[in-house]
Amino acid sequence: MSIDHTKCDITGMVERHIMIAVDSSDNSRRAVLFVGDFFGCYEGFQVTLLHIILEPEATFFRDTDERQKWLSGKLEEAKKVMDEYRHILLDAGFPEDRVNVRIDTMQAPSVADCIIKEQEEMKCCTIVIGRRGISKKEEFIFGSTSNRIIHEAKKCAVLVIE
Amino acid sequence: METQAANDVETPYSFRQLQEMIAAYLGPENVPRRFKIITDTSDFFRVDYNDVVILGGVPYLMRNYTREGRFGLDDEPKYWVRKAIDLKNREAKIIKLVFYEEIDARVGDMVFKCVRSPGKEAAILDMVAGHRNFMQGIAIRDTAGNIVRILDFIQGKRFDELISKLAGNHEEFFYEHLPGYLAIYGKMVKAIGFLHDQGQKHGDIRRDHILLDRKTDDYRWIDFDYDYYHAANMFGYDLFGLGNILVFLVGGGDITVQQLQANESPHLVKLSPEDMNIIFNNRVANIQKIYPYVPDALNYILLHFSNGANLYYENTGQLLEDLEEVRINA
Repeated sequence: MSIDHTKCDITGMVERHIMIAVDSSDNSRRAVLFVGDFFGCYEGFQVTLLHIILEPEATFFRDTDERQKWLSGKLEEAKKVMDEYRHILLDAGFPEDRVNVRIDTMQAPSVADCIIKEQEEMKCCTIVIGRRGISKKEEFIFGSTSNRIIHEAKKCAVLVIE
Repeated sequence: METQAANDVETPYSFRQLQEMIAAYLGPENVPRRFKIITDTSDFFRVDYNDVVILGGVPYLMRNYTREGRFGLDDEPKYWVRKAIDLKNREAKIIKLVFYEEIDARVGDMVFKCVRSPGKEAAILDMVAGHRNFMQGIAIRDTAGNIVRILDFIQGKRFDELISKLAGNHEEFFYEHLPGYLAIYGKMVKAIGFLHDQGQKHGDIRRDHILLDRKTDDYRWIDFDYDYYHAANMFGYDLFGLGNILVFLVGGGDITVQQLQANESPHLVKLSPEDMNIIFNNRVANIQKIYPYVPDALNYILLHFSNGANLYYENTGQLLEDLEEVRINA
């Protein structure tokens, strides 16, 4: 029996597709650097940089102008940082056509839910995420995205980068 | 006698008609000689006692502003929250005018940004219409588009006041009253779950935000206008609030290190940092160490809100499931 090494057999996913879930924080940057450093020199990987903008309910804002301004600001910040992350991966050796950039604006109870939904849709075999290093108190009240992904993600590997 | 409105706005009522309606409520001798008829409430400081605010075609006679007590501090006046009388049916109301505010909410030593959102409260009022465990009311836009909330006035005591009054003798409170109050607490948790299931959060769950409605004998959540940006868990802050209320309830009030020190309590030496509330480190969460008759199943829930917790509730369903396991037998 021959093994096709271009496929993630264990997970049943279609190919070696890594999703890096990011935002504009330092820990996200570390996650991108990790993927570049570890996988950049190998062939056969596809990487998707995913940035979720979690949009609050419309009632969070005074009016549509304020909401629009908030969204534009977040989108601009996301584009800027995604451009930087993309270049990190290209410099690490990933071919241009193997690096996808995706910015999604979504409404959900948590960013983790959105990341998992995207992972399932894109059939990525690995999620890479940076750990914020929040305190126990913060985790208690606001939750931890990386912890939630570790517990909730199915049929994929999860790499949490310190 | 001067009988003139201080302003001149188009309303469905004449000044004289409003005077007659006020006379029917206050008595002819108490009709104010001057008052403003207001349809645009943008500047809430302009709305004075005895003014008439017209919302959705209904005239409301403005009374005093309300105050909010906050744990031992002097009551803070809420100038945008007014007592009022519906001049059509003479019912007492609370009218919340629009006040956009960004607040640094402080929880223990953590600070995060909160906003006051009239739109959120309006959406929840609509969602909970007819629900016995929430304050009732409607939201109406004034002529300037402000979302004004007109709430049924709840005559009755605060949940925390009721508990503090009963809990003089803890053991007696525990066996005689706590089982009933735990059932009420369970209903209140379910009510919050009802909001969460529909993608809303309360935003400011505190023990003084539950009132016992004397008229209907229902406990009701009040004040849902706080909102905050959530990323990892939308409901975490609400669950934290529910946990604090439960710890308060089971303890028959807050049990603080300061109280134990003042009373030279022998329990003090048994306490470790893990036994304290995860956010308010001076409050005991492991109440079984103070009152050994607290059953394990109940204390297990309390420990989720302690420094020693490694596992937190993520939704009301998990909390309710554990609550159902609790039995208190004398």
